[in-house]
Amino acid sequence: MTSIDREGGRLLVTRLATPLVLAAMYGIAAAVSDAFLDPSYVLNLFRQVAPVGIAAIGVTYVMILGEVDLSVGAVISASVVVCASVMDGDATRIPLAIGATCLLGLSIGAVNGVLVAYGRVSSFILTLGIALAVTGLTQVYSGGTSHGIVAPGFREFLNARLWGVVPILGLCLVAFVAVGVTYQRTSAFGRRLYLIGSNRTAAQLSGLPVARTIIWAYMLSGLLGSFAGMAMIVRSGASGTLTGQGLEFQVLAAVVLGGTTFEGGRGGVGGTIAGCFILLIAFNLVILAGLSSYPQLIVMGAIIISASAIQSRFAGPPR
Amino acid sequence: MTQASLKSVLPTAGIWAVLAVGTLCAAVAIPAFRDVENISNIARQSAVLGILAIGQTFVIVAGMVDLSVGMAAGLVVVLTCALGGGDPAAAAPLAGAMLAGGIALGLWNGYLIQRLRVHSVIFTFGMLSILQGVILTYSDISIGTPPPQLSDVANGSVLGIPAAALVLALAALAGHAVLVRTRFGHHLMAAGGSALSAERSGVNVRRVRTLAFALSGASAGVAGLLLAGRLGTGYPLAGATLELDAVVAVVLGGTSLAGGRGSIPNSVAGVLLLTLISNVLNLLGISSFVQIFIKGATVVLAMLANQIGQDR
Repeated sequence: MTSIDREGGRLLVTRLATPLVLAAMYGIAAAVSDAFLDPSYVLNLFRQVAPVGIAAIGVTYVMILGEVDLSVGAVISASVVVCASVMDGDATRIPLAIGATCLLGLSIGAVNGVLVAYGRVSSFILTLGIALAVTGLTQVYSGGTSHGIVAPGFREFLNARLWGVVPILGLCLVAFVAVGVTYQRTSAFGRRLYLIGSNRTAAQLSGLPVARTIIWAYMLSGLLGSFAGMAMIVRSGASGTLTGQGLEFQVLAAVVLGGTTFEGGRGGVGGTIAGCFILLIAFNLVILAGLSSYPQLIVMGAIIISASAIQSRFAGPPR
Repeated sequence: MTQASLKSVLPTAGIWAVLAVGTLCAAVAIPAFRDVENISNIARQSAVLGILAIGQTFVIVAGMVDLSVGMAAGLVVVLTCALGGGDPAAAAPLAGAMLAGGIALGLWNGYLIQRLRVHSVIFTFGMLSILQGVILTYSDISIGTPPPQLSDVANGSVLGIPAAALVLALAALAGHAVLVRTRFGHHLMAAGGSALSAERSGVNVRRVRTLAFALSGASAGVAGLLLAGRLGTGYPLAGATLELDAVVAVVLGGTSLAGGRGSIPNSVAGVLLLTLISNVLNLLGISSFVQIFIKGATVVLAMLANQIGQDR
């Protein structure tokens, strides 16, 4: 095989791997349980995947840059608390609550972005630290117990199903993904992500606004984390102050499964969403098999490791 | 050699000054801090994290990071208590088994990271998730009691000195000797400084890196045994975020995450500083929620300080 063939083969494998795994996963699931053939059940998967899916869009942007954002779980928890407490059971305060929550996510993202862009520190450990700080502040703000009340109509509307089948929250996810994919593919920001991710020094030298792009990517990741928090309220109510705890593992596993590597420069939102569905189907199978939710952690860890290993195998040695 | 090692230690010795000033301020401002019992407590509390930080220093010097140690120590806590059942006869076999298990986990981490060519942070982060899943699947409530000898070591004293602090001091001395005096230590620094140059000058980079992870795994085993003795029960999340604390302590000690250099005494000073901060916050009656925030802020500040140190 010539090197060009090999390169093409690699590209093809990388492109098709995630959709193929998703198709295989769905095939297995459908063979194991008839539920996966029921349109209503399948559409419900879109509702279930919404929080992780929305958050994963932003983390994908950050990871194309060659950085990582592990604060999403903490942002989701904080958003659930802030959104519910600003709403305070009053439907007229819904816009205010949404605004405040978005502002929160954008601010946390801005802090992450500025520290990564100008501090030039390991984003992995830095965002873990920010996650701890945000978790602490959330607990201080809430006193450790949930005290907000979700406004009437908020959950009911978004949990409703159009024509009795299509969940509105699922439609929201589709909308977020459509905007996310379009933004990544058509905007200057999207192109810069790949350029900076594949060679930061070169991007800097050719005059790209590297710091600005990094900060904006983290701000988007924070913003989408807030929306993920709101989706979490819709899905399961505002019952705790640690709702998002550990979700960063799921998000990370989904992004890596979708073909976006830790080295940066490749991947995309489309693959990430496929990755989210692969995880979700795997978890549903775990539950259908009658296991507790804890083995999910084992599955996730194994996926993070093996997906990275496979990617490094096909993409050559890490730089 | 002495001059070189002095040169590498001097710029990072600031941690000892910070520690001394911090201790002095605490002693002057808070009467309860001066209590002998409180000082022994700080020494005891530092032992678990100190041992993890020693293991982590080896890995970081090699240019890698091990995020699996916290959950590994947590698994040791749960297994030691569940299998120990407060039986004195179980102490020796359990300690041996946990140490061996820790080393085996480290070898597994080190071997696969290089075989699969996965970044150490990602691999060990995945292991963190896996180990957490294993612990919680095994038990999601506190179970069992450790063999009494472990509680003696963790909470007792020898000649008025907390035994756990002696364990830490011995481990630090041994670790320092290995890092500074042995060929393995020099190879490790070379591999962390530049893997390519080290490889070309005949260092078996794969092997020294794998051994560094084995040491880190061993430290997780020892730390887990001590933690089991301290807690007196197999709390499933006993090891949560310890890996982060260990990395922060090493970074506070002036070791660069880029690899190639590092000092175990300084890492231990970093641990003492972290323990001092949490002790003072406790004495001042600061809520645990605020403490979580301060911990996160410390991580961020330590990372930034580390970067500034590198730029010099």
